[in-house]
Amino acid sequence: MLAAVAIGTLVAVARTAQGPAVEQATIQNPGYRLRSIWFRGLAVVAVIGFLLSLPAFPYYTRSQLASSQHYPVTALQFAFAMPAVLPIDTPIVLDVTATDVNHGVGIYDPDGRIVAQVQAMPGYTNSLSLMLKKPGQYVVLCLEYCGIAHHLMRAGFEVR
Amino acid sequence: MSNTTAQFVRTAYRDSASDQTAKRIMWLYIGSGLTLVGVMVVVGLGMRMAQGGMHTFQPGLFYSLMTLHGSAMMVGMALCGMGLLWYLFTQEGPLNPTTAIVACALILVGAVLVAISALVGGFGAAWTFLYPLPFVGTYWPSWATGVFLAGIACVVLGWTIWCLQMLGGVLTRYGGLRGAFAWDLVWSPKKFAATGQKPPPPQAFAVLVSAVDGLLAGSAGMLVGVALFARWLNPALPLDPLWVKNLTYIFGHTLANLTIYMPLAAVYVALPRYTHHRHWHTSAVLAVAWWATLAFVAIAYFHHLYMDFAQPRAVQYIGEAASYLAAFPPAVVTVFGGALLVYRSGFRWTLGSMFLYVGMIGWVVGGIGALLDVTVAFNIYFHNTLWVVAHFHTYLLEGALLFVLGWVFYCLEERSGATSSRAVRTLVSLGVFGGGAWLLLGWYLAGAQGVPRRYALQPAPGMEIGWWASLGGIILVVGLIMCGIEAIRLARRPAHREVSAA
Repeated sequence: MLAAVAIGTLVAVARTAQGPAVEQATIQNPGYRLRSIWFRGLAVVAVIGFLLSLPAFPYYTRSQLASSQHYPVTALQFAFAMPAVLPIDTPIVLDVTATDVNHGVGIYDPDGRIVAQVQAMPGYTNSLSLMLKKPGQYVVLCLEYCGIAHHLMRAGFEVR
Repeated sequence: MSNTTAQFVRTAYRDSASDQTAKRIMWLYIGSGLTLVGVMVVVGLGMRMAQGGMHTFQPGLFYSLMTLHGSAMMVGMALCGMGLLWYLFTQEGPLNPTTAIVACALILVGAVLVAISALVGGFGAAWTFLYPLPFVGTYWPSWATGVFLAGIACVVLGWTIWCLQMLGGVLTRYGGLRGAFAWDLVWSPKKFAATGQKPPPPQAFAVLVSAVDGLLAGSAGMLVGVALFARWLNPALPLDPLWVKNLTYIFGHTLANLTIYMPLAAVYVALPRYTHHRHWHTSAVLAVAWWATLAFVAIAYFHHLYMDFAQPRAVQYIGEAASYLAAFPPAVVTVFGGALLVYRSGFRWTLGSMFLYVGMIGWVVGGIGALLDVTVAFNIYFHNTLWVVAHFHTYLLEGALLFVLGWVFYCLEERSGATSSRAVRTLVSLGVFGGGAWLLLGWYLAGAQGVPRRYALQPAPGMEIGWWASLGGIILVVGLIMCGIEAIRLARRPAHREVSAA
């Protein structure tokens, strides 16, 4: 929708260009006033957007880490070592690492929608805090290119 | 010195020997860059068709081609921008042609080495070559990794030489950093006006920012390259994967960003030429916008590591804030300024002007896609999906590439005094803009549904969408071929002397 508004505006401007020309001085000052309004409006939207996005940052807090059940996930070319069953409606933390190269852990719900992801990196543990609300069979796909069978690297777990 | 773009361009078509040399160097860069881009567009289409099930690539070949496509496309686009900026700057001050040729030659040697590594050696660690991937569980011989790293080193070396030459040129021409940044224009405008001095023209800021951020990116690239090369020679050498990842993305993300900002100079210079006596001059706002670009392009790369939770928390917040702020200069100054320039200007629509204007639209649309992706809350769903592929192809194919094509056609139209027919413009629009939009839509739709990127074979609905998107890609390639034919037609026409002497 935003793209459509941007394209529409720039196309509308382009259409005015084919008519009779007016002097640059005539449009310059009104244009600069409009730019000032545009800048302030955009700044307000950016600040609000930034603030609204903060609660949705996926990084764990100490209290989340302490109060959640932890499950290890290890990625390696070209498989995931992880639990076959995870609890529903329970705060959990996946402690994700890799043994060889970088991988990505992309979690897809039973409807095929991606619900969370995190990178798996050798030498580091990335703790992904999440709560799975839908029962059923989830799919895990590798979301970081990791070699010739990257597209075949998948796992599954059941949520119940 | 001229202070407006229009005045600048009036001196741009001299027939002096030095100007002829400068033009030859510009065409060397742009010609080789566009050749690389053209070949890589075809390679990319072949990969998209394979993802769509139209034909089959063995996974090893697919990933080697993917590595080549990503690396060579960046190099090709960078060469175009470098040639364009180099030429524009020679209209302001002298630059040594031999240095430029050496830089270009090094980059082309690097591109050949990367091609040998991928096509002969089968190297397939993607352009990101994320450590430890180039060394662990590989399906290619070790020498291919060495040749690839040597190729990247040549590219980085050539790029660094170019950056140093441009930075030296800008600092010499405009009186050091203070003059090049238009510091006095911003902070003491009345005093500055009283001196009778003129600020650098808008395109000089593109030169300055590309050179400074380019040196930062080049340094990171060289550092990571040396570290990986040492690891290649001594497999026992330990490297920190997170450190390497940060350096890789400082290098790659910044360079990719600069491939858009470099050809933007074409918009500053050429777009006013299609209006009725309008100019694009350097204002304090424009200067500050470029300062912001310099700062935010350099630190926005953090958004590539949002999903690395081991990364220090503070830089994740900085990454989102910097990525938002990086959008302000284009949205508020450059694209807004371009629209204001065109508004009721009696604009002449030619292939050149059309590419420049539509390039701004592509830049904005790709930027909106990027803004969603750099918002951490959305990045959880979009990271490493085809959404990412969608947004960067939007501002590379329908933004940066169009700026370059706009400049090419502007030069050809000015030289020949001729323009393309309405029928040709319509056909090219359908092919390049229509086919391109169709191709891009496929990536956006698939990305929104979580289809992963860098998959030789995609899970549903990736293949179905890929099949349909490939049709758009074919139309795009036909449009680009028509562009090439039209460019050759204009280039073969005799020079229009009146324009040359203007």
